[in-house]
Amino acid sequence: MTERTVVENGTVPTLCRMCSNRCSIVVHIEDGNMVDVRPLAGNPVNHGKMCPRGRASLDVFYHKDRICKPLKRQTDGTFIEIGLEQALDEIAKKMLDVKGRWGARSMGVWKGEAIGFLQQEEYARRFAHAFGTPNYFSNDSACYNGRFLGHHLVTGFWNPFPYYAEADLILLFGTNPPVCHPPFMAEFADAKARGANLVVVDPRLNPVACYADIFAQPLPGTDGALAWGLIRYLVNAGGYDPTFVEQHSVGFEDVVEYAQKFTPDYVEKETGVFAHVVVDIAKLIIQNRPKISYYMGAGLEHHDNGVNNIRAMVVLSCLSGGLDIACGLGWPASMPRNELTLHDQLPLTAEKPIGADRFPVLYDIRKECHTMTAMDYMLGREEYPLKGLIVTAANPAVTNPNTGKVEEALKALDLLVVNDLFMTRTARLAHYVLPAASFLERSEIHIDPKYQRVFLTQKVVEDPGIKDEYMLWHDLAWRLGFGERYFPWDTENQVNAYILEPSGITLKDLEAHPEGIQYSPLKYQKHLSRPLPTPSGKLEFTSAYLEKLGYAALPEYVRPYHLRHPSDAYPLLLTTGARKTLYYHSRHQNLEHFRKLHPEAEVEMHPEDAAGLGVENGDQVRIISETGEVTVAASVLHKAELRRGVVEMYHGWEEWRINFTTFDLINDPISGFPLLKGVPVRIETVK
Amino acid sequence: MKIVYVELDRCIACHNCERACLFHKAEQRAGSTANIFVSVDMEQRRIFAGTCRQCDAALCMDVCPVNALTRDPLTSAVVVDKQTCISCGMCIIACPYGYMSLDGSSHMATKCDLCGGDPRCVQMCMADALHFDSIQSLAKQRKQNPDMQVGLRAVSDKGDVAP
Repeated sequence: MTERTVVENGTVPTLCRMCSNRCSIVVHIEDGNMVDVRPLAGNPVNHGKMCPRGRASLDVFYHKDRICKPLKRQTDGTFIEIGLEQALDEIAKKMLDVKGRWGARSMGVWKGEAIGFLQQEEYARRFAHAFGTPNYFSNDSACYNGRFLGHHLVTGFWNPFPYYAEADLILLFGTNPPVCHPPFMAEFADAKARGANLVVVDPRLNPVACYADIFAQPLPGTDGALAWGLIRYLVNAGGYDPTFVEQHSVGFEDVVEYAQKFTPDYVEKETGVFAHVVVDIAKLIIQNRPKISYYMGAGLEHHDNGVNNIRAMVVLSCLSGGLDIACGLGWPASMPRNELTLHDQLPLTAEKPIGADRFPVLYDIRKECHTMTAMDYMLGREEYPLKGLIVTAANPAVTNPNTGKVEEALKALDLLVVNDLFMTRTARLAHYVLPAASFLERSEIHIDPKYQRVFLTQKVVEDPGIKDEYMLWHDLAWRLGFGERYFPWDTENQVNAYILEPSGITLKDLEAHPEGIQYSPLKYQKHLSRPLPTPSGKLEFTSAYLEKLGYAALPEYVRPYHLRHPSDAYPLLLTTGARKTLYYHSRHQNLEHFRKLHPEAEVEMHPEDAAGLGVENGDQVRIISETGEVTVAASVLHKAELRRGVVEMYHGWEEWRINFTTFDLINDPISGFPLLKGVPVRIETVK
Repeated sequence: MKIVYVELDRCIACHNCERACLFHKAEQRAGSTANIFVSVDMEQRRIFAGTCRQCDAALCMDVCPVNALTRDPLTSAVVVDKQTCISCGMCIIACPYGYMSLDGSSHMATKCDLCGGDPRCVQMCMADALHFDSIQSLAKQRKQNPDMQVGLRAVSDKGDVAP
C-alpha cells in the first residue's frame, strides 16, 4: 500500500467500526504511521472506554492480505491484478450489457457492514434505484430486520437499545450483551448496583446470567408462548394501566381473549420453562413496572415464527408501561437531514422487487429484497433472472443460509463484483474483486438514535489506489450515465455536508466535537401529545395492515418448525450465531492474535448429549441436517451452559461454514427471516 | 500508590482485560501470558477476576533469590527484571493471591507492571469494573461513611476516585 495519514504526527478522533456499536476512538500517528488507538471520552456510548477490537483496526488496515489492487478472474479461475479504471470500465460495460439483454432489474446490489453503516447503505440503495433496479439486498435480511419489523408493527418505531441503567428490572431474551454490545455492560452494572433485578431467557448460559435472579432455558423458538403466558398473567392480575391501554392501543380485547389459553402449565409444556418460573417472571414484571428494559437479541428473530414472538414481547412491554420511557421502548426523534435513497423520487415497486410477493411487509416497510429468494432468481428458477450483482463488504457465501445453494447461485451469475478488504469466501467467487476502503479511510455521518446524537467519522488515512465507498458508486454512476444527476458530489465530505444541510449542524461543528452533538434533547412520553407513527396512530396490538395482507391481526403464537415437524432422524436442535468476543460475524478471523484465542470452530454440546453419542471434548463430529453437513470439533460444556438437546455453533467461520446445514426456504412469513436457531440436526462421530 | 483493582460486582466476564493484557504484551514482545485473570464458576454461577495488588510488603520480592523483582520508581509497581530472573518459581509460591506466574513463552516470572502507569486492561474494561487508583482513598471514603452502598463507579462520579 502507499497510504498517507491525514496528519504526519498527532491524533485523529473518529468512530470505531470494528463492530456495530460505534465507539469514539482516537488514532495516534507517528511519522505517518498509525501506532495506537485509544478510547475518546465524552461519547456516552462508550464513556471513555473501548474493547480490544478497536485497537485491532490497525491490524486490519496494515494486514498483509489486504486487497490493494482490483482483481479480475481469468477463465482458468485464477485472478490477475488490473488497473482500477480498467476494472470500473469493464464492470460498467458488463452492467449495461445485462441491462440491455435482461433489463435493469436483472442487476442487484448487496450491502454488508464491514466498512460503513447507514450512509454506506444509502449509497447502495441510491445507486440501485438510479440504475433502475429495485433489487437492493443486505445482511439485514438475516439480522436486524426481524426485530425492526417486530417492533415497528406494534409501535411504529424501533430504538434498538434501551437505557438499561435506569431500569428496575432487565429482561434479556436470546442475547449476550457483553459480547454483542460491549458498551452497554456499564449500564447493566449500574442498574445492578442500584439493585435492579435481572431475568435472562436463553437456551445458552452466558456469563451475564450469573447475575440473574431468574435464568430460564427455553426450547428455541418458543418465546412467543412465554410472552403470551406473561401477558395472560398481567392482564388477569390487573398488572397494567387500563386508562393507558384504552387511550393508546387498539386490539386489547383480542389480546385478553387470545392470551387465555397460555396458562403457566401450557407455557411449561410448550417452552420447557417451569410453570412456577413463568409466574415468578410475571410477578417481577408487575412489581417493577414501568421501569423495565426488555431486550430481544437475534436469538428471537432467527425463527420461522420470529416476528410474532417479538411482537408479543413488545405488546408485553407496552402493557407493563414501557412505551417511550428511557429504559423501555424509547421513541427516538430523528434529525432533519437529506436522505440519499431514491425510494420516493424513483419508485420501482412495479418492477417486481425480488421477494416482495412472498414477503410484502419486508419490501413495503424496509424497501429491501429477500436475499434467500434471490438465489432462486440467480439460478433462473423464477419469473426473471438475476444476472449481475455488486456486493460491497458482505459475505453471503459464509453468512447466508444453505451455503451450497448460495455458492451455486453466485457461480451462476454473469457478473459478480465484490468490493471488500480481504479475499472472503464470496470474493473468491467473483469476476471482479475491488479493493475497499476500511472505516479509517472514510468519513461518514453517523446518527445514534438512543442518545439522539450525530457524529462525523473522520478519515484518518488514505491510499490513492483505493476508492472510498462513495467514490466507488460515484465512478460507476458516471460511467453508466447517471452520475451527474444522482452522484454529483466530488467527495464523500461533500455528501456529508449535503446530508447535514437541513439539520443546522455543520461539518465544522462535528469536527470540533468528535464525541458527537446531541441533535435534540431526549424527551419521553411523547405519545401523550401526538399520535404514534402507526397506521392507527396507536399501539397496534392487532394490526389491520397485516390482516389486509392476509396475516393474522394478532401476534399469534405459531409453534416453531422443530415442534411442527419432530424428526427421529434429526433429534438435536442446532442454534447458530452466538457471538465470539473478538470476531464480528465473518470478520477478523485473519488477525493473528485474535485467531490464537479462537483457533478453530467448535460445536458446543451438553455433556449428557455428548455422553449419549460417545463424544468427548475435542472429538471431530459431523453435524448433519436435511440441507447438508459440516465436520468440526466438539466442545463439551458444563451442564448448565446449554439446554440439553441444543447444540450451538458460531456462524462466521470461513473454513467451517455451518450454513451448509441451515435452511434457506423455511422463513418467517412476515420478515422472511431464515430459521437459524432451531435447525433439526443429528451428530455423528467421525470414525 | 495507584493500583489496578476490580469491582467484582460489575464484572460480566467478557475477558477483555485478559485480551488487552495479552495483546499489549505480544506487541511489546513481553510474553504470552496475561497478568489479569477472569474465571467463571459455572457450578456456583460466580464470576471472579483479579490481578496483582502491588503489595507494600511484597512477599514475591522478599523471596526472590536473585533480586529480580524491584519497584518501578515511576509507578511503584513490582516489576520483573528478565535479565536477572532464573525462573525458579519461588515468587509464585510466595504470592498469597496467586497473581505471579511463569510466562508461557519465556518461562520467566511475569506479573502486572501497570503498563508503566497506563494500564490497558482498565482502558478496555467496558463494564467499568476495573479501576486504576489508590485503594487508600476509597478505603478512607468508606470509613467516613460506613453505610455507603454505592459502587466505585458511583463514587467516582462524585469525584473522589478517578474513573
